[in-house]
Amino acid sequence: MEPLLRLTQVKKRFGGIEALKGIDFEVFAGEVHALVGENGAGKSTMMKILAGVIPDYEGEMAYRGRPLRLKNPKEALDLGIAMIHQELSVMPELSVAENIFLGRQPTRGRVVDWRRMFAEARRILEALGYPHVEVERPLGDYPLGVHQLAEIARAVTSGAELIIMDEPTSALSPMETERLLELVRRLASQGKAIVYISHFLEEVTAVADRITVLRDGRKVATLRAGETDKSELVRLMLGKEARFFERAELVARAREGRPVLELSALTRPRAFEGIDLALYPGEIVGLYGLIGSGHFELAETVFGLARPAAGQIRVAGKPLRGGPRQAIREGIAYVPPSRRTGLFLEKPVYQNVSLPWLDRLFGPARELAAAREVTQEVGLRPPDPARNVGAFSGGNQQKVAIARWLIEPPKVFLASEPTRGMDVGAKDEVLSILRRMADAGTAVLLVSSEPETILAAADRILVMAKGRIVAEYTSGEVTKEMLVHAAAGELRKSA
Amino acid sequence: MAEKRSRTSRLAERARELAPVWTLLALIVFFGVYSESFFTLENFGNILNQVALLAIMGTGITFVLLTAQIDLSVSYMATLAGVVAAYATAGHLPQPWPIVVALLVASFLGWISGAATAYLGIPSFMSTLAMSLIASGLSLYLTRGRILFDLPPLSKTLGSGRIFGVKWLVIVAALTLLVGHLVLRYTRFGRYVYMTGANPKAAELAGVNTRRVVAWVMVIAAFTAGLAGVVGIGRLGSATPTAFDGMLIDAIGAVVLGGTSLFGGVGGIPQTVVGLLILGVLRNGLDQVSVNIYAKTLITGIILFAALVFNILFAGKKES
Repeated sequence: MEPLLRLTQVKKRFGGIEALKGIDFEVFAGEVHALVGENGAGKSTMMKILAGVIPDYEGEMAYRGRPLRLKNPKEALDLGIAMIHQELSVMPELSVAENIFLGRQPTRGRVVDWRRMFAEARRILEALGYPHVEVERPLGDYPLGVHQLAEIARAVTSGAELIIMDEPTSALSPMETERLLELVRRLASQGKAIVYISHFLEEVTAVADRITVLRDGRKVATLRAGETDKSELVRLMLGKEARFFERAELVARAREGRPVLELSALTRPRAFEGIDLALYPGEIVGLYGLIGSGHFELAETVFGLARPAAGQIRVAGKPLRGGPRQAIREGIAYVPPSRRTGLFLEKPVYQNVSLPWLDRLFGPARELAAAREVTQEVGLRPPDPARNVGAFSGGNQQKVAIARWLIEPPKVFLASEPTRGMDVGAKDEVLSILRRMADAGTAVLLVSSEPETILAAADRILVMAKGRIVAEYTSGEVTKEMLVHAAAGELRKSA
Repeated sequence: MAEKRSRTSRLAERARELAPVWTLLALIVFFGVYSESFFTLENFGNILNQVALLAIMGTGITFVLLTAQIDLSVSYMATLAGVVAAYATAGHLPQPWPIVVALLVASFLGWISGAATAYLGIPSFMSTLAMSLIASGLSLYLTRGRILFDLPPLSKTLGSGRIFGVKWLVIVAALTLLVGHLVLRYTRFGRYVYMTGANPKAAELAGVNTRRVVAWVMVIAAFTAGLAGVVGIGRLGSATPTAFDGMLIDAIGAVVLGGTSLFGGVGGIPQTVVGLLILGVLRNGLDQVSVNIYAKTLITGIILFAALVFNILFAGKKES
């Protein structure tokens, strides 16, 4: 059998960046072919080529066996290639039927044939498995799932044979998602070819016949959905990294020892509940959650800024009950999520750095010397510890906040959003400081609502949602999408 | 470019910081020109003598303002300490215990209002306002409204005696300021005072017990106020239940005139010294140039108000 559409060695570069490095891809009529990959893997570039949005590329495209070069989306549509974008192009004020027939309303003479349009729309929606939608009502009366339905119905009535769906479920409720997946299967059984792009690997393995994995602009594999699973897909999407294995080994060894920080059933009303957590020397544990999930509050509480209502905090086996002062004495360091709360912007760097250590480090000369050393370690620019913190850029202010804790390396480092608002270079620097601290034996709890930060540095990742730990992953077997999904999934369920 | 901007802004900041000094110099030049009696050694001695009590009190207030708190009870605390010292002397408590007791009473009441602010979160202006009523009430209660003339001999010496021609009062004031300065500049506690005022949350995050710092500065303010009272009765020659009540505005005003920020974290004893001198020169100079005596308070008030506006603008500039 001949594929409906085939790409051969398709390449595309944007300026100096090669977005696609020679992709082979085919999709058959009656097949759901999923496309997965991390952000920047090349999914959307490929999609845009399929839909005629990008006309200039290297390589061949063949449709129904004949070579084809699309010049624009209109041409693609005329040939039966339709794309359902993430942002829908529907008109909520118009009726469901009008949305389906947008621009192609059936007419009698010069006027719209409303009766026929409604009847047609009803027939199509019935065929798609949605007989209860009232086609006369404004689309805006219906939830997002129906908006999507209208757009798909529009593609079908315009004679689309190949339908490309970009993250169709990202805005849908779990129930709507299920119905959409049914619809996709139904379209395939009616002989349509579907290219299905999604971040949600559960959906992909459930709906697709075949799955193609992209990474760094290359096709890594095309697999039968029944013969693979989520973790293999993730591994293929991420690839292997030497650094990761090195650290994994180190961390595994650390975990044979005793944990340095233990939380048991730690509870603070309206913040978090029943948190059990063990942190081992030398590991970086990412604590991910959406804002409001309680992860920042957890770090704050461990540092003694708030009292837990129940549960225990132990550092190296010793219970911790006092405020920040005791926490610091027991070897806990903390960087708050906001620089403004943690730093004295109108005071010189050295006074910011030395404040927790004044009992053994007092006097401008000694403080300056110590501050010079640690600010060098974090790469403060300009390297002037006598300058007011407020005179530094945001990223460098953050380095000051971290440098303070290098005076005496802590046992546990609670870093809340340490890279917030930093440019890429500064982010990398901060994360490598954390890594160096971990290498030296500090247990780092990296608390963040930025999945990129967590994924870039954590050996182990915990996901918090609604004040509870809802998932745990080992680095390297999890993607950004899975994190976000885990953090948001819990919200969806309980909503 | 950025370097240049930061340098000019540093210069501008420096100029703002030094504004009280220019003010002081301008006042000295002004009164020096318009009054023949102003520029005399004797008159400078007068000025110092006039601000000495304010200086003792102002030392503690400087601590309080540096933590971004306020103490409105200092003048009443001085009155009370004076009354207690005299009352105990009249009651034949052996010397120097009346003075010790007076200072302890003041410090204890300071600790009460400090703890109320630090641990209960009652705003300091409110807790000290209430405390001023308590102190004032105690003074009235102990004296029954009478004037007490039995003073501790040490109070008399320090309040009106001289050594090598210099008034003891001025020496006590200078020593108080000096000790305050050393504590603020060269001890950990001093640094905690500045940092707590600059950003209490950040200080707490660095392990500073900010509550204890706040409670302690209130004790210090009450102690120096008490000291002013104990010495002050010696200068007045008696203890009355309202002896120093009028000093409150001058004492806080002097500290603010010097440039210590009302928002905490910026300022210090050198600034307070300048502020005291501005106030002293102004008061003294206005007498010398024989302004309408009824306008004196008005002029002092206007200048204090201008200093407040400046203080706020200064703090606002640094925020942005």
